[in-house]
Amino acid sequence: MPLRLKRFLEELLKLLKEDFPAQLEKLIEDAEGLTYLQVLDDERAVITVKDRRITITGKARKGETNIRIYTNRTLLFDALEGKVALAEALAAGELKVFGDPLTLLRCYAIWERVMSLARTSPRFYFLTYELR
Amino acid sequence: MLSSRVEDTPWVDSFDLPSVFDPRLPYYKEWHDFVFFDRASQLFGLLNFAIHGNPYDSKRGYGAVLAFLVDSGGRTHTALKLIPLSKLKVTPFTPDFHGEGVASVSYSPGSSSFSLKGGIDQIAFDLHAPVVLAPVTMSQIGLEVLFKNRLKEEMLEVASEMASIWDKWVELPRLKVTGTVSVGGTSYSVDTTTGYQDHEGGRFDWGSVAGWDTGVLLCDPSLPGEPERVSFLFYRYGASKESSYGGIIVRSSDGEERFFDSEKVTITRSGEFAGERAYLPGVTRLLYPDYRPSIPATIAFSGSDESSDSVEIVFTPRAACTIVVAGMRDESETTFNEMYCNATFDAKLDGRTYHKTIPCWFESVRPRRWG
Repeated sequence: MPLRLKRFLEELLKLLKEDFPAQLEKLIEDAEGLTYLQVLDDERAVITVKDRRITITGKARKGETNIRIYTNRTLLFDALEGKVALAEALAAGELKVFGDPLTLLRCYAIWERVMSLARTSPRFYFLTYELR
Repeated sequence: MLSSRVEDTPWVDSFDLPSVFDPRLPYYKEWHDFVFFDRASQLFGLLNFAIHGNPYDSKRGYGAVLAFLVDSGGRTHTALKLIPLSKLKVTPFTPDFHGEGVASVSYSPGSSSFSLKGGIDQIAFDLHAPVVLAPVTMSQIGLEVLFKNRLKEEMLEVASEMASIWDKWVELPRLKVTGTVSVGGTSYSVDTTTGYQDHEGGRFDWGSVAGWDTGVLLCDPSLPGEPERVSFLFYRYGASKESSYGGIIVRSSDGEERFFDSEKVTITRSGEFAGERAYLPGVTRLLYPDYRPSIPATIAFSGSDESSDSVEIVFTPRAACTIVVAGMRDESETTFNEMYCNATFDAKLDGRTYHKTIPCWFESVRPRRWG
């Protein structure tokens, strides 16, 4: 039974607090004001960063979400394993991204830094693979 | 002791697990590289079995198995799998590496042979690898070089830098490798005497390493015109990280050995490799979609010594796998370009001439440049 998305995000936040507190501080600072909807297969999670706090919930109030990303587990692991590039996934409609361009760029930079951390953290790697 | 015996393999090649009190535990890393090329099936293989990070802390340490194969059609196949410490067994008493459910390396002292078994993604292997030539440590090579050559400042500098970084740098110059490798459902039979293994380890962050170029021609001395062995190492060092010292060791089929050091060797690189490339870990492609480190189309080593002996090796990469590893302390990254090459070997040694194209493994390591 794969790990559920919301539980994964909660565990990830816990991991970042324990192992990467300085990097988490900076991520929160850069993500201030974001309400981000992540859809993975049929699961939804909303990450809100407000007043230097991160909350993870199942849904957001109407009109509050400023980033929406739709994808699936197959694509997630194909991308993590280098089998598919993001541009190819976008072109194939496997990855759908909505939001204003500046917020999207901000989000991309944050996401890139989180991915970088995964390369030196076996905890992060094995937690991610529990999603599969 | 300047020589080892095949029987010494278990202790020379075992894992050097650091003390649990070692302050540099987070930087510990150690691995076996097994390399082979089967001339009948034209299959090249590099299998790496590694431990990274604190080996006593499941949150900070892990095992990894990596495979880089190039098939007869020149297609590259790669796979990388991480192993949690709870499923990994290594000891300081044997070269064994048991990654439950992924891959294992078992050494049998009775038959002086390795057994390599595993499956990662679409790649599976079941290989038997008896040790043919005794292990050689970096200290042994260094002492041989010092005994037979005029002492140079660069020799001492590079020896001191390597000793400060590496706890272990050992090679098994020749292994027989038999068995099967399957890639995406296609099975290849392997039966070669050109296997090679090295084993390195240390407690350092990647940012402290300036890189190296090393490799080995996978010679078959039973064939006419091939030497017993050809290997090379040029190690980069110093504050600027641009100084380099090393050389080429050539051992003729009658056992005579020659060392051509940096002073006697000219290295030229030309063109840009246009063949197939792979990137590991997969997330590299996600993080740096446009990253394409320069790999020359040809690399030529040309050397000669006072006795009019000479060696020229022209490496032509056929396939490459770029591995990007991240540092722990800062944002430094190191790029390993693992290459399967054709090496045209031209040499004149003790009046004997060689001219042969020999398959080769070439590893070029450099700090990754940003931007």
